[in-house]
Amino acid sequence: MNVLPDDAVDRIAEGCRTIGQLCSAQGVQQWEVVATQSYGHSIDIEAGKISLAAGGGEGGYGIRVVEDGRFGYAYLVDLGSAQSAIEQARAIAKASPSIENFVLPSQQAAKEVAGLCDKSILSIGPEDLLEQADAILHEVSSLDKRATVVGGGLGVGASASALLSSEGIESSGITTSHGVGVQVSIDADGEMTSSYEGDSGRKKLAQVPECVSMAVDWAQKTRGPIEVSSNAHDAPVLMTSEGFSPLFSMVVPTAVRGDRLARNESFWSGKQGEVVLADDLTLIDDGRLEGGKAAGARDGEGVPTRRQTLVEAGRLVGSLWSTRDAAQQVAEGRIEHAESNGCAVRGGHQSPPHTGCSDLLMSSSKGGSSQEALLERMDDGYIVHSVMGAHTANPTSGDFSVTTSTILRVEAGQILGPVKQAGLSGNLAKALAHDVHLGDSVRVQGSYSSGSMHLPDVLLMQGLRVNPA
Amino acid sequence: MVMSATPNDGHRPTTGRYLNQSKIQGALDHAQELGATYAEVRLMAITDSSVTMRDAKLERAIPGQEVGVTLRILADGAWGVHSTTDLVSLPGQIESTVRLARAVAARRSPADRSVSLAEVPIIQDEIHWTPKKDVRNTDLQTKMEYLNAIQASAADDERIISVTCGWSDEHLHTELMTSEGMDRTWSFQRSLVNATVTGRDGGEVVSYRTRHGGEGGLELIEQCDLGKLGDDARIATLRLLKAERSPSGKIPLIADRDLTGVYIHEALGHPCEADLVAAGDSCLDGKLGHTIGNEIVTVVDDPTIRGGYGAHPVDDEGLDTREKCLIKNGVLTEYLNHRETAEHFGITPNAGARAQDGLHHPLVRMSNTLIQGGTHNDMDELMEDIQYGVYACGSRGGQVDTGRGSFQFAAQEAWLIENGELTRPLKDVSVSGLTLQILKDVDGLTRDARLAAPGFCGKGQTVPVGDGGPIMRISQALVG
Repeated sequence: MNVLPDDAVDRIAEGCRTIGQLCSAQGVQQWEVVATQSYGHSIDIEAGKISLAAGGGEGGYGIRVVEDGRFGYAYLVDLGSAQSAIEQARAIAKASPSIENFVLPSQQAAKEVAGLCDKSILSIGPEDLLEQADAILHEVSSLDKRATVVGGGLGVGASASALLSSEGIESSGITTSHGVGVQVSIDADGEMTSSYEGDSGRKKLAQVPECVSMAVDWAQKTRGPIEVSSNAHDAPVLMTSEGFSPLFSMVVPTAVRGDRLARNESFWSGKQGEVVLADDLTLIDDGRLEGGKAAGARDGEGVPTRRQTLVEAGRLVGSLWSTRDAAQQVAEGRIEHAESNGCAVRGGHQSPPHTGCSDLLMSSSKGGSSQEALLERMDDGYIVHSVMGAHTANPTSGDFSVTTSTILRVEAGQILGPVKQAGLSGNLAKALAHDVHLGDSVRVQGSYSSGSMHLPDVLLMQGLRVNPA
Repeated sequence: MVMSATPNDGHRPTTGRYLNQSKIQGALDHAQELGATYAEVRLMAITDSSVTMRDAKLERAIPGQEVGVTLRILADGAWGVHSTTDLVSLPGQIESTVRLARAVAARRSPADRSVSLAEVPIIQDEIHWTPKKDVRNTDLQTKMEYLNAIQASAADDERIISVTCGWSDEHLHTELMTSEGMDRTWSFQRSLVNATVTGRDGGEVVSYRTRHGGEGGLELIEQCDLGKLGDDARIATLRLLKAERSPSGKIPLIADRDLTGVYIHEALGHPCEADLVAAGDSCLDGKLGHTIGNEIVTVVDDPTIRGGYGAHPVDDEGLDTREKCLIKNGVLTEYLNHRETAEHFGITPNAGARAQDGLHHPLVRMSNTLIQGGTHNDMDELMEDIQYGVYACGSRGGQVDTGRGSFQFAAQEAWLIENGELTRPLKDVSVSGLTLQILKDVDGLTRDARLAAPGFCGKGQTVPVGDGGPIMRISQALVG
């Protein structure tokens, strides 16, 4: 049983051609049609048991028209309504401002990226997922009889996509995904602790992914909170990859968008070429990462993707651009020169392309250190594994003020025990600017923006305030 | 093929219905013949439009139409679900979805409780909450003019470096047919405008966002003083440029209507969701009838408040919506539930099922949640005996760990309170706490409770919600 019908790509590519022909027949100057069609199976887990099995699919087409530098967009699910969608998009284009030199990207050769489709996922059926769910539930109770998966689930998906434009771009392909997420609770002796962990990727995951034991581990190690001084104080914080990535993904991908830099809307505006991160840190947006969640041969508007260094040795050296944003910022005089560097992303067929990052990697020229070495360097401080409210961080300023219930107190380089709850605040841009030390285990994390974050544990020695409850 | 969604040539059904009733009835009958104890087909068609303007120029405008349908089947005490944008294919999915449900059931141990549903009235009707002005008739130029009214006042200072204004409207049409004979169609609209204002002064850069809207049509936008919305956002942005970092520690807090709403949504609303309680993921498990808050605290969730962003006439299991009183004078009186959890807990179904769209199955969700008013006349009265505290207002959102009962929410701006008076503006204020403690620490509420700005709630699925209440004082809150 295949997750995706064999002819899925052919059929949406044919649909794109049909819409493209209608655009040409109407005399549209430039047009671009995208199509997606996704199918999947999923299992929900509640209260330690499988609560539901689901399957299905969805899809649709998006049409972007560009006429005299003006663009319009509309989307549809039924090819029968393509004519009216094109008319809507053209009407919107007429109301849009004309951007000098804004044209749709032209055809350029693009090399495929490996690891985006795992054929073994295509044959995973609901029964296989049910077995995997059973294995996960069994593993949790074997690791700790008190532990229960109170929520979460697992799923597989396959998505066919196609893009066709009046400028000769024609591409299509299949991507796959497999994900597991578990909320594990231990409710015993009058105390409840819990931890949510997840794994996902383009390849088939292990039957019991590492996130399962990690969830049990953190539900265990946050039990029996110790007393600490409740005074708010500045302290070094070792943020695990899991705790750091939500804040990082709220703040940093936005700051490196070319349009926001040009508009002075980024805390790194005006700092091109200057040191903005600790001088050993490098930040790369890799649109060609093998198996990357946002990787592909072409970006959301058909431009070939690339591996792009944004920060090198702490210095801001790059930024992200899509075609329209680049043309607009140049036309409006905010920047002398800009062009697409393959950083257009889409939220599916329902949205036109916009500038965004794909798979973001942070590394240090000093290499990574073991957790023991990081704790020794920290001396007194905290380990934070997850935060609540990362989405409330301010991407414009980098300021954040969040809460954590998975926090461990460290004294003299040794873990003393968990703190029941604490506030954690600071400015992420400033905290990353000095005295930052990375761990030696890079893990892939999800992201508020597109793609994923490839991050190790991060020790921030300065700029964070801890406010124990 | 998944994409062919609409059964007719145009976007709207000629008969007022998308579902072919006889075919769907046949499919539901077939599910029962195969052993299903319950089957439903729920379709949702959403006609929507969004417009974004940046610095008075049209950035994007996206008209769209989505149609999704979900088949939900209960067999052997377990759920199987199939969702698709292809209506025509649905009858062909009955057998596989029954098999799916049975496969789930087969994995349960005898000790596991089977799913069953509380009985509800079986209704066949149509309910249409018709807006005064159908928002679908609003053309792009008119929408841009409304957004420009916000823009003009919001941008009126050289320190404002950008203003992004947004418009969003949707017409939601739902059809539900069940094997029990339920056959309901309902519709309503939502309209919303928002703005994000960014200011810069030297190296300091801040942003502030504002929203207005709710359930209803164009009249909601027409009734709003959009110039004032922009003015207020500009003034708040400029204030933030001069604001200091918040003090940290346990101190008295006064929250405006927006924050009071987010607080009660996060701290109480989510732990009150019966699906989380049943899953063992709520700190309110076993607390029905217990005093969990100060006696001045009464909280309702009410989807029938017209104009609230979370308002809807019928829940996504076909029940007429109604007010739920979650806390009455500090006592936990009711969980939000759907049919499955109502049966599980042996309580009356209270129409708390909502789904994001036609491609998602219903979960227990909030709608319009608010604390009712208290006895204080105004904010001055709440503030007068606070020597050192914080007044926080405007929401940047929040989050809760329902199992641990800990929550966090963040304010857009704040002031320091010193000796009963507002003194210096603050920024980046967040508040955290434990549900079972902080409800007891609410010690003052003004009289006038009402819904605040519209919001969105995520729980795997995103749904619009209204939150609010009066101005609230918490005697001791963890502020950071």
